[in-house]
Amino acid sequence: MDPGKFLLFATGGLADAAYLFIVAAGLSLVFGALRVINMAHGSLYMIAAMVSVVVANRLGAGIGFLPALLCAVLVAAAIGAVIETTVLKRVYGHEHLVQLLATYAIALIIGGAARLIFGSNYRTTSTPIQGSLTILGYSYSLYALVMIVAAILIGLGMYGLLFRTRLGRNIRAAVSDPELLNASGVNVTLLYTAVFTVGAGLAGLGGAIVAPSQAVDPTIGDSVLVLAFAISVIGGLGSIIGSAVGALMVGEVISFGLINPTTNSFALAFVFIIMTLVLTVRPWGLFGRPEA
Amino acid sequence: MSSTGRSLRWAAACGAVLMAALACGGSSNTGGTVTFKGTKNIGLSIALTGQSALYGHAISQSMKLAADEINAKGGINGYKVNADILDDATQVANAVNNIKSLILQDNVVAMLGNVTSAQCQATSPIAKQNKVIFIAATCNSYQLTTEPDLVNPYYVSVVPNTFMEGTAAGELAAKTGAKKIFIVSPKYLFGISETNAFVAELKKVAPSATIINDPSTWYVPFPTNPRWDSTINAIQAAKPDLVYSNIFAADQINFITQALQVDPNFFQKYPMTTLASVDELQSLGSKYPLGMHLYQRAPFFALNNPAMNGFVTKYHDRYGEYPSDWAVMDYDAMTMYAKAANAAGSFDADKVRSQIVGHSFDSLRGYKFTIRDGDQQANVGETVGTTGDSGGKYPFPILVNSTNLKGDDLLMPTAILQQLQAGQCEKTPGTPNTTDFSVCPAWKTS
Repeated sequence: MDPGKFLLFATGGLADAAYLFIVAAGLSLVFGALRVINMAHGSLYMIAAMVSVVVANRLGAGIGFLPALLCAVLVAAAIGAVIETTVLKRVYGHEHLVQLLATYAIALIIGGAARLIFGSNYRTTSTPIQGSLTILGYSYSLYALVMIVAAILIGLGMYGLLFRTRLGRNIRAAVSDPELLNASGVNVTLLYTAVFTVGAGLAGLGGAIVAPSQAVDPTIGDSVLVLAFAISVIGGLGSIIGSAVGALMVGEVISFGLINPTTNSFALAFVFIIMTLVLTVRPWGLFGRPEA
Repeated sequence: MSSTGRSLRWAAACGAVLMAALACGGSSNTGGTVTFKGTKNIGLSIALTGQSALYGHAISQSMKLAADEINAKGGINGYKVNADILDDATQVANAVNNIKSLILQDNVVAMLGNVTSAQCQATSPIAKQNKVIFIAATCNSYQLTTEPDLVNPYYVSVVPNTFMEGTAAGELAAKTGAKKIFIVSPKYLFGISETNAFVAELKKVAPSATIINDPSTWYVPFPTNPRWDSTINAIQAAKPDLVYSNIFAADQINFITQALQVDPNFFQKYPMTTLASVDELQSLGSKYPLGMHLYQRAPFFALNNPAMNGFVTKYHDRYGEYPSDWAVMDYDAMTMYAKAANAAGSFDADKVRSQIVGHSFDSLRGYKFTIRDGDQQANVGETVGTTGDSGGKYPFPILVNSTNLKGDDLLMPTAILQQLQAGQCEKTPGTPNTTDFSVCPAWKTS
């Protein structure tokens, strides 16, 4: 493969990885801190995508994108805060199955509500950044490149939040030893609400960023949730670096896998083969820590 | 109390009872009173959510419109018709559960087919087992009527099947003069079936054209990843003269949207022959590229006739949308069933079938179609053309210089049909998606 083609397919994989990372990072953060498998994460992604399309089109596709993105993230975060304070608080400490069923029920409720509010039809909006770049004879979407840069900035921002702020210290402490943190006087109740709200906001950010490049309907969260889970498991639940590496692996496996005649049929299956291998050899993921 | 007051109370009570009776089953139309004997359900398990939600939405609307019109004309055999619609989320398993529920619990007298061929592949045998007429107006793989395990005498198709569409697409692609063609198709029965027919026709009508991507990369997983970077980049790397695709609904919208983000002139550099419907045009609106070579099943704007125009007006007035190709074909399916069941004077599947096979029916498409014996396929046509501006008439591009190919010219030759049904055209006998027309004895001689 010549360098031009290699760069083309590698960048395609990065674009896939970018939005998957943003979604998976939120999922991973929530599981890491709260030990909750949030089945409603894809629904928050979907709601944000819907809101962003509606607002962007109302304000004027293109210039309306940034207000729409902000609005979508806020809506997803607000719904997240409501879910945490009304439902999740009651199931912390219960078996994972109870939490799973509770969040699955929330996902169904959000899906139904979205259909009532927005209808089942696809909605589309224009990209805020038009145009493309040509490198070594091949065209690249400027918007896809912006998505990649946004994912890197979000990753760095999350790293800063977790490792350079008091909130981050507390979140990491909650991941390592929630009981000790509680004993040290930190308001763990508020911390948990904050973490879940940030996680929901990240799902929303992913949805809002991807909305201008795909048809949006009330089911778009389903497929992304499956891949986000795979990424979180591969990278290690609770690890932001793990989410980044997991997303990169999944994005590139899909991009290069689909174009290769030998691997085309198994490209998506490879993602789950990797996940199974990781679960077998290192159940806590590549960058995660085993539960005490 | 005065006698006048008592009379008024009696009159009011009688009026209330009459109103209640009408609401509970009795009915009247403006031309006189029609009392229905009861209600009969016509079932539909459709994608109201999921990958093909776009199509299910239009189909369900059209079916309700058709049912109301049939009822306004007295129903079927004196019974009111109810459109019994369940959502299958574009999932095969859900479609199977729904059809069982519709047949066994709701006692439907007929079924309209699901959206995807994979779903019809799973549901048609259940309809056959329970002797229920199954009218396909969207799913259309020819294997559904030719594969020995799938052949169902109660299965009727009013949609051009994949052989007919692949043939139309092959002719359309050949006309572009393209020599290097790149194929993108969904990896399931429909995509494989239509691509087989396309490649076979292309070899006939444009033998010098070559397919430049490896056959194993023709197909993308279905339902697919919403990001199409890999396929778009593969097209850029291969630099074809033409892209042939039969991706549809959300996949087509995502593919086009993302390709235009990569290069606003993507479809000028890599012209595309693709399956499309009014739904994709309507969803993308003015963003749908001009100059695309489309083949469509029943685009209302290219099938101008009084019946179609009346239907478009009614549909638009009621739903505020333009009817998709699916809406047109499902309306035809409902009216065909009503006519046949009324002629049979019965809902018995065998009696209704005898009034369908070999008979001709009016169509919104502006011509009569006939259901032939052997595969119960209607000789319905396919519309081909190039997208262009509608001149402000519609908020989406339409086909300009369109041609309505005649169904009789596209139908699978009877000899090939019989050989397929006998398993003589498969690389792996008994496997529905391994058809290779080049091994068909009748294809070789045609």
